[in-house]
This record gives sequence, structure tokens and C-alpha cells, in this order.
Amino acid sequence: MSIATGAIRGVQEVARDPRSWWRRSKGNVELWANLIVLGWALVFMLWRGGGFAITVGSVFAIWAILAISLNLVVGYTGLLSVGHIGFFGIGAYAMAVLTSSASYEQLRTEAIPTFGWPFFAALPISVVLAGLVALVVGIAFNRFRDDIYVLVSFGFAVIAFTTFLSWRNLTRGAFGIHEVARPAIGPLVFEGELEFLALLLVFLGLVVLISWLIVTSSFGRVLTAIREDEEAIEVFGYRTTHYKLAIWVISAMMAGLAGALLASWSTFIDPNSFVLLESILLVSIIILGGLASIWGSLLGALAFVMLEEGMRFVPFLPSEFIGQIRQVILGILLVLLMLFRPQGLVGRFKL
Amino acid sequence: MGILLRHRVVATVLLAVLTLAVVGCGEEEKGPFRIGVMESVTGAGETYGTVAVQSKQLAVDEINAAGGINGRMLELIVEDSKCNAQDAITAYNKLTDVDGVKIILGTSCSGAMLGAAPLAEKEGVVMFSGLATNPDIAEAGDYIFRTSLSDATVGVDTGNVLWADGIRNLATINESTDYAEGVRRTTTAQFEKLGGQIVAAESYPTDTTDFRTQLSKLLNANPDAVHVASQAEASGGTILKQLRELGYDGPIYADVVPIGTTALEIAGEAATGVKAITPDLDPANAKAQEVLAAFKEKYDYVTLPWFLGSAYDNIYITAECLKKTGDDQDADGFRDCLYDITWSGTIGDNYSFDEKGEVVGLANAVLEVLPVAERTEENGGYRVLGAAPSN
Repeated sequence: MSIATGAIRGVQEVARDPRSWWRRSKGNVELWANLIVLGWALVFMLWRGGGFAITVGSVFAIWAILAISLNLVVGYTGLLSVGHIGFFGIGAYAMAVLTSSASYEQLRTEAIPTFGWPFFAALPISVVLAGLVALVVGIAFNRFRDDIYVLVSFGFAVIAFTTFLSWRNLTRGAFGIHEVARPAIGPLVFEGELEFLALLLVFLGLVVLISWLIVTSSFGRVLTAIREDEEAIEVFGYRTTHYKLAIWVISAMMAGLAGALLASWSTFIDPNSFVLLESILLVSIIILGGLASIWGSLLGALAFVMLEEGMRFVPFLPSEFIGQIRQVILGILLVLLMLFRPQGLVGRFKL
Repeated sequence: MGILLRHRVVATVLLAVLTLAVVGCGEEEKGPFRIGVMESVTGAGETYGTVAVQSKQLAVDEINAAGGINGRMLELIVEDSKCNAQDAITAYNKLTDVDGVKIILGTSCSGAMLGAAPLAEKEGVVMFSGLATNPDIAEAGDYIFRTSLSDATVGVDTGNVLWADGIRNLATINESTDYAEGVRRTTTAQFEKLGGQIVAAESYPTDTTDFRTQLSKLLNANPDAVHVASQAEASGGTILKQLRELGYDGPIYADVVPIGTTALEIAGEAATGVKAITPDLDPANAKAQEVLAAFKEKYDYVTLPWFLGSAYDNIYITAECLKKTGDDQDADGFRDCLYDITWSGTIGDNYSFDEKGEVVGLANAVLEVLPVAERTEENGGYRVLGAAPSN
């Protein structure tokens, strides 16, 4: 809400007195970060237009849901987790296995159980499953704090990846699962990319809304208090372990949702999409965008996707090295950003 | 709007237009044929993807230097598919939506190929790979082709070789990747079909560096031979080395990876006598030697010669079909041309594609690693024992 009204007020101010606005705003990094990222996204869409913008938008929506889910845990509650890719994977595999159709049998390799559920039946199960796993894991994780938390969540990511890879008669191991169902409501099938993007944005909106309700509630304030000083809030009689467990499970469910959407969007998943590196990337996205800020997660995800995809259009590079150079430039940009803006683009809190 | 802000906007727009002009030049009517290339130049399949892109660029440069195709140049648009499905899909959409290509060469990773293949099939875009080996790709659709041999053929041939060599009890170890797992699975199936017995099987995740425990377990089962299926050269080489260190002196069989340059360097003398069942460039094929020499000349190294040759041939096949169709937007014509074509190139003579887009007419070879003293750059460290027995 405040973003919209803020934007309107900003435009009015600029119109009324451009010079004084410029004087006051030129040092406002947040404003410029917003303008540059959004502007670049807009230019990109107009410039490259159509189909590719839809693809990029879909990737953005999935990463944004993931980033928001992680920000609830890392940014608001102060638990640095690098294991979220595990829940992402659980959601994706649950969706893939539950919607798998008997046409697998035509494939040469070993059969896996087929359920043939529709997308909307499998979706809640995927989300709940990620939540259940998070509940079990979270009870154990609640004993840890700070640096140790990073390590145990790291362990979780590795275990999750190995499970996807090794539980062959459920996940088909390294072969991956094909033909994951696209969502359908009655005769309306989300086969086209544009329709799917619309669905993704609806889910993204839902996640933003739920997260906003959480962080503005009294529950959210306790979380922030836990981040600032866990002992102090315990003295006031709050059972911090319950709060930490609750937000952990909610966050994992959102990550599971993102995973389920990814599986359906790409229609093929294999363990390579859930390696630890992606988790690290995810943490850099929320730090890039800004911790403890939902808008920051959206902006971070957008900036990241625009950087990645935008780099495809850097001309004048020899084609043999274009992929590697992309990675190098991305790395340098991240380093520079962290050097000059450690709290992220619009962050409220620094690790 | 502030005057400085307006400057900034103008600058941004100018920059965008400028880049557009740079990227967009040469798009006029009689411009070059534009072909998409998707390879895993970063990530897990890096070695394969890089060799494939470089080899394709080499072939394109040759064609263009010789005057192009019917006077038109050939231009590659390279995208990174990073060895996973999600990145393959974005790369695919970028190539088809933004660059508007209808023919895509790649990918080097089967996972990436399987991610993009359903889209290509749906939208009628040809995907043509020289490296992906996952057996599932055979079923991926009408527009999906490859010159690489499916893991299934490698496995069947390996099973036959093992049986013919008098192996009855086999132990296997494989890396948990679709490629290595596929080789292991089909090898095992064929070997058991012939009457052989698998006495022990182990698998390991990518990036493992110590295999002693797993290898000891294999050796405790007293196998006649050990079969190693790995994807990374480092792990393949290390396994050979540690097998010999554990005192095993029986025969070792492998896929292509343990005979790579890096693997042989790690394994040293331990690799001597290892038999590899894999497609290989025929040393008597003058064209193949020529290509390897040209590649060495341009990039100053050579690795994975067969895959290098396969990627190289893909470009010449593409050029031949473009000569026929005369239109890089005509995916259907290109597809039909691939179904009809019979080709003799770097990786073999008179090969063609069957109704599934799988290559036929190429065979796996049985290779044997030479002792360290006899390994040279020319022979790659191994000698060819002959074609794998077929049944």
C-alpha cells in the first residue's frame, strides 16, 4: 500500500518542483535502486518484448516466491538458512511424482509409481509435505543458533539433494521426471506460457499478501524481536522456539509452493535444479534486494533475473566464451554491490 | 521531470537503441543463416559444452571462409544451458523468441535437452545434438535428433564385450548422473541377459574424491572384473588409481571418461590395460585427423575427440540441409532433410537417422589403455582393439 501511495506522492513532488526534488533525492540510494531495476526491467520488456519477457517473468515469479519465503526466516527472524533449496525440491518432486502419468511406462527406464493427479490436487499436498518435513527438521534445528544454524541448514540441503538423486524408485534419480502436469481448471488448461505467468503472478500476490500480514502482525513483531535479542524477548515470557518453528514451517511451505510451480512450469525436473549452489544464489538474492523487506525480495529477484537474462544480450563477446564471461560479470557486480551497499538495495537490516 | 533525470532517460534509451543496432545488424533479407546453439558452457557439463561450442565455431569459420552456403554466411547464436532443465528453457525461449531461430544445435547435457525438448516439439523447432546420450531422448519427439549414441547402445555393447571376454561375475561402480547411471543400467541388463551375475554394485555422488571404502566392498565380492562408469574425468581416474592401490589386478572395463586426458594423468600406470567401450574416431579416417589438427591449431588443446568430431559434423550436416532448404526458418524442411540424409564425416561413414531421430550406422569401439611409456599425444594413450561385437 505504502509503496503505491509513496510512488504517487513522489510523482506529484517531481511535477511540482523538479529542482528541489532532485536536490533532496540525489543521495537516496533506495530510490535510485528502485528506479534503475524497474526501469531496466521495463526497457528490457519493451526492447526484447513478447515471448521472452514472459519466460523471464515466469522465472522471476518463481524466484520471487522463494526469495520472500527465505526472507521471512533470514531477514525477519535472523536465522541464516542455506537449506531452503531442499524445500523447493521437495515441493517440486511432490508435484512431479503426484501428477506423473502412466505414459512413463513407455520410457525405457525403470518404472516409478504413477498417481496421475491433477495439478490443483497435487499442489496443496506438495505444500503440506514441504511443511511437514520442515516441522520435523525445525524441531531439531531449534536447538541451534547463528553460525551453527548455517551449518545444519547446509547439511539439510546436501541431504535433500542426495535423497533426490538416490531414491531412484521414487524420483528416477539422475534421469529426472518428465511430463509433469500443467494446471487445469475444468476445460481451462494453463498450457500457454502467458496463462501460466498469470497463474504464477496470482500465487506470487498471495505469498506477498500472506507475508505482509505476517510481518505487520504482532506475530511478526515477535519475530523481529527474536532477531534483535532472543534472550530479551524470552524474558518477556515469549516461547521463542514456537515462534521460530512456526515461521520456519510457513516459510518452507512457500518454498514448496515455488517448487511445485517450477515443476509444472518446466514439465521436467532432475536433481541438478536443487544443488546447494542454487541455495547460495538464493541467499545472495535476498541480501542483494535487502533483508527484512518484502519489497526488497521482489526487487532482488527482479534485479537478479534481469542481470542474468540481460547479460545474454551483451554484444561483442566471442561466442566461445560468452557463458563464462556472463558468470564473471555477474560475480563482479555482486561483489561491488556488497562492497558499497552491504544492506542490499532497499534493506532494513544487515547480517 | 528533472533536467538531469531526463538526461539519464535519454542516455538509457540511446544505449538501448545502440545495443539494438549492434545486435540487430545483418538481419536484412540476404543476411546470414542464423542457427541457435545451446550448450552447457558453465556448470556440471562444462568440458563437454565448451568443446562442442568451439568445435562448432571451427566448422562455421571453415564454411564461411570457403564462401558460405550458396553465398550466404552461417552465423551461430550461442546460449548457455548450464546442464539443467530450467536454464535450458530460458535459453531456448531466448533463442526462439528473441532471435527467432528455428534450428537449435545442442545440448551437451541430457537433462538440459530433456527440459527444452517438449517445447521444441510443441513449437516445431528442430533440436539437434552431438553430445546428449540419455536413452529417453529417443522418445522426445519428431523434431529431436542426435548424432551421439544413446547410453543404451554403449551399455549393450559393454555387456557383450564383458561376456565375450569370459567375465561371469561383475562388480560395478558408477557416478550418480543420468549418463553414468544409464551406462551402468544398460550394461548390467545386457550382461545379466547373457547369463552373467552382478556380485556387487556401488554408486557415488559427483565430487566424491575417496572411493576406498566402496571399492573394498566391491573387491570383497571377488568379481572377475570391475566396471567403472563415471562422468567426471577426475573421479574416473581416481577410481582406477585406488582400485590398483587396493591390490586389485584383474581386468577393468569403463566408458569413455576414464580414458580422457585428465583421467589418465591422475591414474598414471594404474590405467594400463583398462578397456573402454565407447564411440571413437577411427584413426584411419583422414578427415577426423584433419579436424583434430585444425582444432588443436585454433584452441591449442584437444579433449573428448569423439564428441568434438560429433559437434563438428553437426555443423556440416546443418550446412548441407540449409543448402537444400535455403531457409533457416523452415524447420519442417530441415527435419525432413535430416531424416533423408546419409552422411560421411568425422565420426564415421554413411551414417543416417532412424524414425526416432537416433543415429544409425555408427558403432562403439573397444579401446585399451597403453602403458605410460607408450602414451603419446598422437595416440591419446590408448589403442583400438576393434569394433564392439554386436548381437
